[in-house]
Amino acid sequence: MTTEKPVEKVILASNEGTKITVDREVACRSVLIKNLIDDLGDEAVANDAIPLMNVNSAVLNKVVEWCEHHRNDVAQSGDDENDNRKKTTDIDEWDQKFMQVDQEMLFEIILAANYMDIKALLDVGCKTVANMIKGKSPEEIRKTFNITNDFTPEEEEQIRRENEWAEDR
Amino acid sequence: MSNNAIRRTGTGFGSGIGGGGGINGGGVPRHSTSILATLQATTMIDTKPVLPAEILVAILEYLPVPDLLRFARTSRRMREMVYDDTRWVARLKSMGVWDETEARKRFEDAVRRRRQMSASAGTAAAGRGGGTPTSPGGAGAATGGGRGAVSQANRESLLFDAGLEEERRQQQAIQLEQQRQAMAEMRDGFETLKVGGGSGQDPIRDADALLQVIKNVKSVRGHAREEYGKIYGALAPFYFDLVKAKSHTDPLVFKVFREPDRQAMMLANLQTFAKSDWADGSQQRREKLDGMIDIFESAVLREFEQGYEFWDVDGRMNKYAHVLHILNGSTAGVDLFIQKHPLFSDREVLANSMECVNQAMADSITLEPSRRFFEVLTQKVNEQSGIIERIFPNPGKVFWHLIDKIREDIIVEYVTPLFDETHERSIPSYLRAVSGIFEQTMLFLRTLTPPKGSGVDQEAQAKEIALKIFEPHLDLYLQDEIDDFTAQAEKEVEEWDKKLSEQDAHAESFYMASFTNRQADKRDFLTSFKKVVMMPVTVLPTSFSLPLGSPFASSKPAPNPVAPSGTLTPGPQASCSQSPAPGATVDRSGSPMPGKAPTDELAAKAALMTSRLEGIKSLFSIEVALSLVHGAKASLGRVAQFIQLGGQAGGEAREQCEAIFVVLLRILGNKHVKPGFDLAVTHLSQYNPREVNEHEKGGVAPLVTFIELVNVGDLISQMIDVFYEQQLAGPKIVDRNDFLDPAGLAKKKFEQMLDESVAAGLNKGIDVLMDEVEYVCATTQLPTDYNPGGITAPDSIIPGIPNIPGIPGTEKPAPKTQQQAVDIDLGPSKTALRVRDLVSSHTSMLVGSTEKSMLDVFNGEVGLRLFTAVCKHLKRQRISTEGAMKLIADMTLYYDYIRTLKNQDLLAYFKALRELSQIYLIDAKHAKEMATIIADGDRFGGIFRAEEVYEYAERRADWYQVRKDVERAMYGLECSIM
Repeated sequence: MTTEKPVEKVILASNEGTKITVDREVACRSVLIKNLIDDLGDEAVANDAIPLMNVNSAVLNKVVEWCEHHRNDVAQSGDDENDNRKKTTDIDEWDQKFMQVDQEMLFEIILAANYMDIKALLDVGCKTVANMIKGKSPEEIRKTFNITNDFTPEEEEQIRRENEWAEDR
Repeated sequence: MSNNAIRRTGTGFGSGIGGGGGINGGGVPRHSTSILATLQATTMIDTKPVLPAEILVAILEYLPVPDLLRFARTSRRMREMVYDDTRWVARLKSMGVWDETEARKRFEDAVRRRRQMSASAGTAAAGRGGGTPTSPGGAGAATGGGRGAVSQANRESLLFDAGLEEERRQQQAIQLEQQRQAMAEMRDGFETLKVGGGSGQDPIRDADALLQVIKNVKSVRGHAREEYGKIYGALAPFYFDLVKAKSHTDPLVFKVFREPDRQAMMLANLQTFAKSDWADGSQQRREKLDGMIDIFESAVLREFEQGYEFWDVDGRMNKYAHVLHILNGSTAGVDLFIQKHPLFSDREVLANSMECVNQAMADSITLEPSRRFFEVLTQKVNEQSGIIERIFPNPGKVFWHLIDKIREDIIVEYVTPLFDETHERSIPSYLRAVSGIFEQTMLFLRTLTPPKGSGVDQEAQAKEIALKIFEPHLDLYLQDEIDDFTAQAEKEVEEWDKKLSEQDAHAESFYMASFTNRQADKRDFLTSFKKVVMMPVTVLPTSFSLPLGSPFASSKPAPNPVAPSGTLTPGPQASCSQSPAPGATVDRSGSPMPGKAPTDELAAKAALMTSRLEGIKSLFSIEVALSLVHGAKASLGRVAQFIQLGGQAGGEAREQCEAIFVVLLRILGNKHVKPGFDLAVTHLSQYNPREVNEHEKGGVAPLVTFIELVNVGDLISQMIDVFYEQQLAGPKIVDRNDFLDPAGLAKKKFEQMLDESVAAGLNKGIDVLMDEVEYVCATTQLPTDYNPGGITAPDSIIPGIPNIPGIPGTEKPAPKTQQQAVDIDLGPSKTALRVRDLVSSHTSMLVGSTEKSMLDVFNGEVGLRLFTAVCKHLKRQRISTEGAMKLIADMTLYYDYIRTLKNQDLLAYFKALRELSQIYLIDAKHAKEMATIIADGDRFGGIFRAEEVYEYAERRADWYQVRKDVERAMYGLECSIM
């Protein structure tokens, strides 16, 4: 271990080059950044900004905002990812409000969370998207997610019949 | 693999971000006609980022089932993602109904069938197909891609045999067909049910199907979705209905099913089903369900309790116990049943353990009250067993629960104060209490009759419960047991030592033991010992007070019944000493305990032995040894009870058994036997024949003592051996073949110690014996014995005896009776007789008391030393021709004696000696023949050289007369010249 005081702040750079200074603790919500600091050492990140090539500044700000709010969360254990318990936890109120953005932004956040490896944020994003899908007809879903329908109407009908058991009463 | 496939296409799809999506998206508005509209749509879509497949997959995880399947209808790729088998297998797994082995078996069966088909076709495809089943996830890929993925023609698909794929698809189609039918039925059933629920039509048949739906799930790879569909179709309506319900009367579950057991079954099903629901809000749904189940459960429990109060065993209790069991394994009902069980307030059962102490005499304990306590308990519990069987669907479990509670509340309550109390009062009774109660507890647990078909190993359960009861006491008990035994044993030995020193002063030594029949006596004693050892512990009276007759009472100087023997009569002394012995033993065995006869055979025999072995009582006592062994046996018997517990506790008990045995050997060996031996050896080495006045008794006192000691030591050793075999090796406490076993090691050490002591003593003993022999020779041999010539003329005697040398047969000592009148006795001299008797009595004493090899060595050594002593003695004598007769008689006597030892090497010496004695017989006139004999080395078997023989010849009384002739003849030269 280095004897000098560990770096308290790190600088993150979006793909446009905008820099944003955050507490190290906050930045380390991102596993990507955490691993990067661990690998390169404190000196490397003390002065230079960490470039995040896939994230634009608007999204980066949003992500940092989320990280700031969740800085004190208990770190999730990486193992046991299949645990159903995690899946079942509902989105808390703050996150719900946080996710009230347009769809484009939502997707960008999800992509950024995926890229920066922020599991909890990714989960929240996915859950939000899932909630968006809920109750929509296939056609509406296609529109929302920009999906091309490559079924013939007969095929689509067959799938519907196959899964009739799941339809709401 | 399917994931890979999806991602690959997914990336292509996801490139929409870059703009390519626009073109893709261009395909969407198929219906639009104008280019402008198309462009508009394009730009509109272009702004939307597209999520990569892996994120889509993650999102799908959070979708409720109906939305998930709607999502599947959006496009082929989405359908593949949704239909992916692993997704559905995960749901089945979460409910615990997916059986991987079953799935694999089905899959492999299918492969085998297909391979048989293709084998008949004889295509090379079969070879490739063989690789398939090993590839993991093959099933998933096969189905996931089953309908659409073949066209992808990616690398993975090479792994799949086209034929296999084909067959799969056919199968799938067939199964799908069946599935559809089944599903249709299901749907129909459900619909009827929905109607029936309200309109009161007969829903029973369909309801049964609904109740069994979870049990009927099959684990088929590639069909997890369909299987899940069955469950979902059956249970979801009830589930979501229940969640929405406002009060506990609302839910459909309680309307459709009237009987509580069916309601319970459905609720249990729903609880299982809830596990596969992890979409948004599932937590609340589950809580709601749990709440509903709680309400239901407490209602059922109330009914059960009411039934309990009225003791309505076969009615309500039985019914509601079953309902609870169906619902959730009925722990609540069992708890209630056990908590409120009347057994725990039964006055008859709750006894006071102090009775065990109070009913007994001071510092003692009687286990009769506790035996009664356990008897009553056994009876009561066995009654309950029947009742439990009538009430509960899983009586075995409930029964053992009850027993556990009984252990906690009744037995432990009974036992603990008793142990604490006795431990304070007296340790021996504590030891007996612990062991005895343990035995009773085991008996109690074994005589229980648990309900049939409980599937529980009663013996194992019994041990576990017994362990729980005794675990807190076990350590203390084991420690106390060994401490107590050590203390007792040490006390015993010390007491004996003390008494010994007190009476040492006036202990007149009495060394005349009956040497006859020793082995028989010993065998007799050992048999009785074995019998006693084999008896169970409880049969023995309190071991330390075994009326063996105190060894000290009998030790008062008994009148010596043996007349001073062997002084005048030259007859064999041993016979003299034999005759008074029986009388003596009878006397003494009676005297120490005039009032009470020995209570058992062993005691009597021990007393008898003691009286016989009185001679060594000052060294160590067989009775002390016996009582130590008894103490050890009692302790061992108590501790051994716990070995059956097995596991760690059993192991500790076993170790303690060995420890007791080791302590026994240590105290017996080091504190009792060894000092005795040491003392005896000291006595031996201090012995000086010249300082002792009485040499007439036919034995060297300390040596006799010592040999007796060897005898007793051997007896004790055999006793220990029997004890080891019976108590330790027999019941498998120790492994006889384990050479590292502490008990076995201690035993070996003990035996080794004994052997060493014996060897050291015998070594000393031989010295002493030979000292005595020499002393006897020196003091009793009269010069006239071999040289009567001092009285009569040398050449006037023995006219009748032919003086032909080399025929020893003719020179046998003539019968004494004939020679009585003659003033020259032709029998062996008194001295020789005494020496012979002295030696033979000692050697014969050892027979049967040590092992044969040691005896042989001892005898060999004794013989050799005797030979030396005799030779030495011979060289001091002067022998005339007349005296030669006596000498020959003496030598023959020795020879005959040595022959009884059956030692060929030794015999050669004495044979030579006998031959040698003949040179004195040769008349002076035959000096030449004498010279021939002297020079004849073969005659003496190489024992004597010519020079030595010459030396002996010098001892002739008439040597100076014959010397010249002999020398001339010997050196021959003059002879030939003349």
